[in-house]
Amino acid sequence: MMNVTVISQILWTSIATSSYFVLFAVAFALILKVNKVFNFAQAGMMSCGFYAAYVAVRVLELPGPFGFAAAVAGGAAMAFLLERFGFSVLRHRRASPMFVFIFTIIASQFIAYFMMMIFGTWPTTIFASMFWPVTLVGEVAVSAWDVPAIGATVAVLVGLWAFLRYTRYGQFMIAVADNADLAELYGIRKDRVLMVAMLAAGVIVGIGMFLYGTRAQVQPSAATELMLFAVAATVLGGIGNIWGAALAAVVLGVVQNSSILFIPSAWQGFLLYAFLFFAIVLFPSGFHLPERSKKLKRTVAAPVVATDGKGD
Amino acid sequence: MDYVYTILILIGLFVILASSFDLVIGHCGLISIAHPIFYAIGAYVSAMLAKEAAVPIPLAILCGGAAAFVSSVLVALPSLRVSGDYLLIASIGFQLGLIEFAKHIHSIGGAGGLTNIPPFLVNDYGRLSYVALVLAVAVLTVLFVRWLTHGPYGRMMAAMRDDELAFSMLGRNAIWLKVSVFAIGSGIAGVAGGLYAHYFRFLEPDQFGLLQSSAILTMVVVGGMRTTMGPVIGAIVLQILPQAITFFGLPPSILGPLQGLMFSGLVLFFMFARPQGLLAAPDIWAGRKAKAGEPRGLAKGGLADG
Amino acid sequence: MVDVLTVSGLEKRFGGIVVADNIELALVKGRVLGLIGPNGAGKTSFFNLVCGVVKPDAGSIVLAGQEINSLPIRERARMGLARTWQNLRLFQSLSVLDNLMLGPRAYCADNLFNVMLRPGHVTGAERDSRDRAYAILERTGLADIAQSPIRDITFGQQKLVGVARALMNDAQCLLLDEPMAGVEGQAYALIQRVVRDIAASGVAICVVEHNVAFIRDLCDEGVFMFAGKVLARGTVESLIADPQLTELYFGT
Repeated sequence: MMNVTVISQILWTSIATSSYFVLFAVAFALILKVNKVFNFAQAGMMSCGFYAAYVAVRVLELPGPFGFAAAVAGGAAMAFLLERFGFSVLRHRRASPMFVFIFTIIASQFIAYFMMMIFGTWPTTIFASMFWPVTLVGEVAVSAWDVPAIGATVAVLVGLWAFLRYTRYGQFMIAVADNADLAELYGIRKDRVLMVAMLAAGVIVGIGMFLYGTRAQVQPSAATELMLFAVAATVLGGIGNIWGAALAAVVLGVVQNSSILFIPSAWQGFLLYAFLFFAIVLFPSGFHLPERSKKLKRTVAAPVVATDGKGD
Repeated sequence: MDYVYTILILIGLFVILASSFDLVIGHCGLISIAHPIFYAIGAYVSAMLAKEAAVPIPLAILCGGAAAFVSSVLVALPSLRVSGDYLLIASIGFQLGLIEFAKHIHSIGGAGGLTNIPPFLVNDYGRLSYVALVLAVAVLTVLFVRWLTHGPYGRMMAAMRDDELAFSMLGRNAIWLKVSVFAIGSGIAGVAGGLYAHYFRFLEPDQFGLLQSSAILTMVVVGGMRTTMGPVIGAIVLQILPQAITFFGLPPSILGPLQGLMFSGLVLFFMFARPQGLLAAPDIWAGRKAKAGEPRGLAKGGLADG
Repeated sequence: MVDVLTVSGLEKRFGGIVVADNIELALVKGRVLGLIGPNGAGKTSFFNLVCGVVKPDAGSIVLAGQEINSLPIRERARMGLARTWQNLRLFQSLSVLDNLMLGPRAYCADNLFNVMLRPGHVTGAERDSRDRAYAILERTGLADIAQSPIRDITFGQQKLVGVARALMNDAQCLLLDEPMAGVEGQAYALIQRVVRDIAASGVAICVVEHNVAFIRDLCDEGVFMFAGKVLARGTVESLIADPQLTELYFGT
């Protein structure tokens, strides 16, 4: 059973399915890097993106592209709400990280229960059918979903890279990520930059949920599990490293998919949590150590605290 | 009457859970929501020891607490050595992973649940005796947390929350303090789990998931972090509220989400409208009053005008 | 001349910035050494390296004959290394007295076992350290505000509390990071006297300070640092008089 065909099939399928994992991981890592928040409320953004697409396609019976637009709009809208009425309020109140963390986790639960009230707990999909026509490339089956999904993911990654590198707001984001207070001294409006980062994450998550929802069933509680995958990838990729998170998501996706060969399928769900746990224990600083940036952060943090102290 | 007893027992158990969770998240400032998993470990270990090994139930309950204590050290030690954020992720991974794991282990009932757990006290002395036991443990827990946090140990926790680096520079061991408090809180939750198991006599993995986490978190946040009575009031209010809506006779498909919506909505409301909770903690740590005869209590210590 | 702290070949760079470039320095029992240099010369970084807040790239740090390079911050403190911080780092949610109570090398509640099972022992130790804290508060003129929260006392008093908290350690080696910045009047004279007293009792002291007058009045010797290097060592007068060093100090 273990021959080249099987292995290449599994490799191909798992790379294709890791496309949305990459997007979720990138969004999570972006917010962690720029906004300095473990955004567990991302699960809420994900649910919102999915159900927006579901309503557009299944309820309003609009064509697929509208569903895609709805997913993007849904993810971004929830990101806006969270930032505008949640994070920014807490930030201005100088809430402790503990408080912000409680907010993210409770907000994601609130959104999940809200979706359950409206859409029920039954799993659904964006399109009525999850089956995509398959063509054989060599001996590997490639579905009509695979190529657009990978293409979309690559496009998002390239887009994000270009955004961070070439646009004003992208540069601002990097500046805020390095040292938010210093960036503010230079006249960068931190609130606006953090909002843009959240919206970007919302868009990315919306695209990811559209991909996921066209291939698998989703119920309101599913987003949490999908997000935990992103958390594991972010930790493995080295916290603060967006591209590391993307790479880790692909690796995790491949490992999880190919685990069919080694462990019973009932245990596959368990694998995610094992990743999460061992990511912490074995690779606490990710695959490659972000030594330099960590230390730099520490040296610049001191004077910031000093000015805070004197301001009291 | 049995219904009232059951509610009282649940209130008592949640007072224990909320109070011990406040020790971890409020007093020590550790970011973790995995408290229910230590509750579960205590429950399962106690139940299995009593059921399979015929261990006397009080001893089994204590073993459950010890198992929770030890496993919490195993979770906290590797993650806290790196940074506080990692505890959160490691503990969530541990909580959900262990639940998933338990679902596949048939010898402890799997996803269907563990049944026929030996009862304790109820058959011999009636339900009221169990109510008394649980409430006594609850009172002891609250008093213990109060004692610990108002003594020299509490002073360390307050200082560490303020500034961990300055704290270490005084020669104090921040990691050890965090691991110890995490283990104490989790051990107490484990005892609560044992008490749960031998009364309700049925355990299923899913009941110890994120819903339970947010319920306990809600009790602490709504009641008021770092106060003695806050978690108690939170536990009472949030145990009674969901009971109230069960009287509306809603179908279970609505009732579950509605309860969840209520819990999480209440926390969100409190976070933005009254972040300190129903009871506000003082922002200056106050230890036990110095006993009479100790040098210069208040004689020289008049508060400077702020 | 007993060297309490000996630093040799200490190197540290953050990316392209060199904060310690082959530093050789010894702190002597009973003497006060002043570190002078412009901002960014690596003075505070030197403290951070000695305390273990930052790990050096190379070099050795020896405290009372023992290499402490690999020890965590808390172990160094427990060997008798104490410091104050430029930005104070007092515990805002504790009173002045409680800030000091956490300072002894061995704290009464360090051992959880004692806390749980020997409460009498802990209470006794607590009483002893309260007496000591009051003695130090008396000496630093803070006894009247022992019960006040940190935010209710003046900045000069906060600086003194920082020093007083470090004194609880009964240190062999004391590092003071800008003890005078923002301090005026009474507190100024008090801090100066306290530091002299501590030195006289046999503690090796190192002071980072921009206030040159203070350094001159207080220190037995001075060291001029620039770009992570020790450029000169001598009496404070001679350092101040050196036109090249003055140029470096004000030229940046």
